[in-house]
Amino acid sequence: MIGNDVIDLSLATAESNWRRKGYLEKIFTPREQQFIKNSDNPDLTVWKLWSRKESAYKIFNRITGNRVYNPIRFECLDDSDLGIVCFENTLYFTQTQYTKNYIHTIATSLANDLNKIVYLENRMQIHKKNGIPYLELNPVSISNHGRFEKIVTLQTES
Amino acid sequence: MNREEATTKLKEIVKPYVKDQEAFDKLTENTDFITDLKINSANLVDIILDIEEAFGITIDNVSMEKMTNVTAALEIIETKLTEQ
Repeated sequence: MIGNDVIDLSLATAESNWRRKGYLEKIFTPREQQFIKNSDNPDLTVWKLWSRKESAYKIFNRITGNRVYNPIRFECLDDSDLGIVCFENTLYFTQTQYTKNYIHTIATSLANDLNKIVYLENRMQIHKKNGIPYLELNPVSISNHGRFEKIVTLQTES
Repeated sequence: MNREEATTKLKEIVKPYVKDQEAFDKLTENTDFITDLKINSANLVDIILDIEEAFGITIDNVSMEKMTNVTAALEIIETKLTEQ
């Protein structure tokens, strides 16, 4: 399964003040708060960690059908662009790319699937089943925020 | 505070973050903050902090998990108000 999350950095900065009192504690565990505190670029780290949680949550939501708002329970075990997010006993494997304009994280249930990512240019041929996008039988993850949209799927087994 | 008053107050808190004004105008107890009102999920934290301030309550993370729609939010607000 695959999940992704894109963040338009200038929109995120305009929409959310993460320095607001109480904000970080609602979303980030003490370990994650430490990553932010130790970072040379805390604004970037906040949004990277957030995009990793969101992309892992997308997988969880698709598999279980559960919609709960609990970002703090999806913990980034490290602050790495090839990282791991943990929810209860399940691990999700994440890959984060970023420019000065956006962050894009992709999460997969299997570590090796990070090598099988396919980027789609547009929504052609994507159909929805129960609200979830597919390209033929392959699950697709779509994320958009501000100026950016990213669509990803996994290579079909041949 | 009765439910009607709490609903009015909740609507005021949520309004600035809403991206689907039409859905907001038709708000019902089942309206979902993220899927119906198109509120950015990072802004849901702001809404929770605003609710804590406006109602003078503290919302723990376990309660926060459930606050995805209007009824759930109102129930939690009411529970926290009675706990005080």
